[in-house]
Amino acid sequence: MSVQPTTWVEGPAHRPVARPKGLRLAWGRNAPAYLFLTPWLIGFFGLTLGPALASLYLSFTDYDLIQAPHWAGAANYVRIATADPKFVAAMKVTFLYVALSVPLKLIFALAIAMMFNRGIRGLPIYRAIFYLPSLLGASVAISVLWRQLFASDGLINLVLWQLFGIEGPSWISNPNYSIYTLVILSVWQFGSPMIIFLAGLRQVPTDIYEAANLDGAGPVRQFFRITLPLLTPVIFFNVVIQTIDAFKAFTPAFVISSGTGGPINSTLFYTLYLYQEAFSFLRMGYASALAWILVVMIATFTAISFLSARYWVHYDD
Amino acid sequence: MLTTSRRGLLRAGGVAALLATVGGGSVLAQDKRMRFLWWGSQERADRTNAALAAYRQTAPGVDIVGEFTGWSDYWPRLATQVAGRNAPDLIQMDYRYIFEYARRGALMPFDDDLGKALRIDDFGQQNIDSGRVDGKLYGINLGVNSVTMGFDAKAWEKAGVDAPEPGITWDEFADRAARMSANKPKPNFYASADAGGVEPAFEGWLQQDGKNLYTDDGKLGYAVGDATNWFAFWDRMRKSGACVPADVQALDQLTIETNALTTGKAATAFFHSNQFIGYQALNKAELSLGPYPTRSPDAPSGHYLKPSMLISVSSGAADKEAAVAFCNFLVEDPAAAKALGIERGVPASAKIRDAVATSLDATATKIVDYIGAITPRAIPLPPPPPTGAGELQFVLKRINEEVGFGQKTPEQAGEDMVKQAQDVLARG
Repeated sequence: MSVQPTTWVEGPAHRPVARPKGLRLAWGRNAPAYLFLTPWLIGFFGLTLGPALASLYLSFTDYDLIQAPHWAGAANYVRIATADPKFVAAMKVTFLYVALSVPLKLIFALAIAMMFNRGIRGLPIYRAIFYLPSLLGASVAISVLWRQLFASDGLINLVLWQLFGIEGPSWISNPNYSIYTLVILSVWQFGSPMIIFLAGLRQVPTDIYEAANLDGAGPVRQFFRITLPLLTPVIFFNVVIQTIDAFKAFTPAFVISSGTGGPINSTLFYTLYLYQEAFSFLRMGYASALAWILVVMIATFTAISFLSARYWVHYDD
Repeated sequence: MLTTSRRGLLRAGGVAALLATVGGGSVLAQDKRMRFLWWGSQERADRTNAALAAYRQTAPGVDIVGEFTGWSDYWPRLATQVAGRNAPDLIQMDYRYIFEYARRGALMPFDDDLGKALRIDDFGQQNIDSGRVDGKLYGINLGVNSVTMGFDAKAWEKAGVDAPEPGITWDEFADRAARMSANKPKPNFYASADAGGVEPAFEGWLQQDGKNLYTDDGKLGYAVGDATNWFAFWDRMRKSGACVPADVQALDQLTIETNALTTGKAATAFFHSNQFIGYQALNKAELSLGPYPTRSPDAPSGHYLKPSMLISVSSGAADKEAAVAFCNFLVEDPAAAKALGIERGVPASAKIRDAVATSLDATATKIVDYIGAITPRAIPLPPPPPTGAGELQFVLKRINEEVGFGQKTPEQAGEDMVKQAQDVLARG
């Protein structure tokens, strides 16, 4: 048995004969696995890949859901690139959101993880409590709660008034502030990167810190010279995942602005604009084009992250 | 041995599943099942479900299942169901959308049923024709309404200012509202909501000047100057404190629940007369309703009798006869009228209007009286909105916000409104 695999990877000379046999054998051996994978495979091809390819086709058409799609060439893409002020507004809002929420959330998550890593009593309980917002975060109920918190007569303004005598604005309905309430909502859901950071911190060998202590390095220097470099693989992972999530953010803006992206497009996330075009105004072709641009955007960012990784991510093995 | 028994098990399971489907199918076939989709509040759902229960008594073999959502979720849901060949058999329709759905072949024409299964001749010609698209009848009027100005008369009285009476001009209204807000009975309270971004209010205001949102051939019916004057009026209202500031108005999501009148920030709001029931249900203070302020005493009233909503049958409905029979029940049977009341508007049928007249409560009576009062000076139904017009209600709201938050002058706003509206209509 153990000889079999080596014969067909050994070299070109054996291939013509050995390969089909090996394949047949591999198929025979793997057939039950594929059988059990079938539900997932059907789901992947039928519900993910198929619709994705269909939307690629639709992005070159005019399609209102009711009448058959009508070929439009690159018209949708041309309009997005040249004559769509709402696209520009949505890009601004989305990039601002990504640029603010991802770093802030990760810094916050790392700070909390480091606090926990110092060993406090009842850690599992605290960990669970701090993780809770991440479980609730994307839900409609929390978005509604956020609306109440940041309303002109909400809790935030009550506290500002009682403690500092400041009369706060209506945060969510003022175009200058509304996006920041959504950034705060995102930062508040720091639970999952925190857990990953905590696991990463646990991996750092304590003898390195002991050695650094003996050499007279203070806590700040230890953080920048030991903790941060050894944590870079985990930071890298968190940056990629959180950036993708931030680009795809939808629910909070949808609920807080009731689907309008208002006031004055100040919470018009890219996904929200896509949703409006698709389901409010029935321009499915245009929305498909927007969706593919989002795919390309996320893929580009991920590619940049991976390409840059070799310069700053430090793997110790 | 193990594999065989597993296979056997799978086979047995498959057969059982198949039997279950067949069995389920035959159970369904005994009852005619139909789906009815509408938008509206919980109040409407309760009333409609009562009417569905009444229909089960009238037609025992037919089971109609109701589904409802809010206004803004309704159209995405309907569109996806129609696209998925899964349209509800019975569809609550709006005057704005009936043209889009009928012209795309999604609805069934009623013309062959008129006078037979559908006996709505007591609607009057205008109320029948309000459901016609390109000469064919695709919708049955579920109730008549018109735009209205609703207000809390007590709050005005407390501030020592007369509440707006029919015939008051817009300028007078602005003056009084400013004085009312100055003597406001409680902090953060204003005489009026900001209707600068409310499309039906803008429409009424245009009609008082003999114009419309759209022309007969689907072009924009107003010019930059009209839009500028509209935005300037509401800008003045905000600056004098007569209406709520922009960051309060921005909380209004075009629903009864979030309107400044309901949230206790304003004493006056602009909405549709059938919604008065919903507003009264959510407001502790007793509300009144009246016509819009006018341009001048002899200008057109700006009020037309609108089908507040219609009922249509999907062109894909399995049993069209049963669907039409239910439509007829909904608009012509006293049992349905008793359950529905006038929550969807004043019934178009004279017979039903008389039948419900005796059982109306105070709120409903106000609406019937109001529709009666504006009918003599009602203007004709405006041209249907062209394809894509649905987006413009959001454009108007956004541009009014831009003025409210000081990002644009009314002049810039007027220009932007016309330019963006033309862009949207050109896209269709």
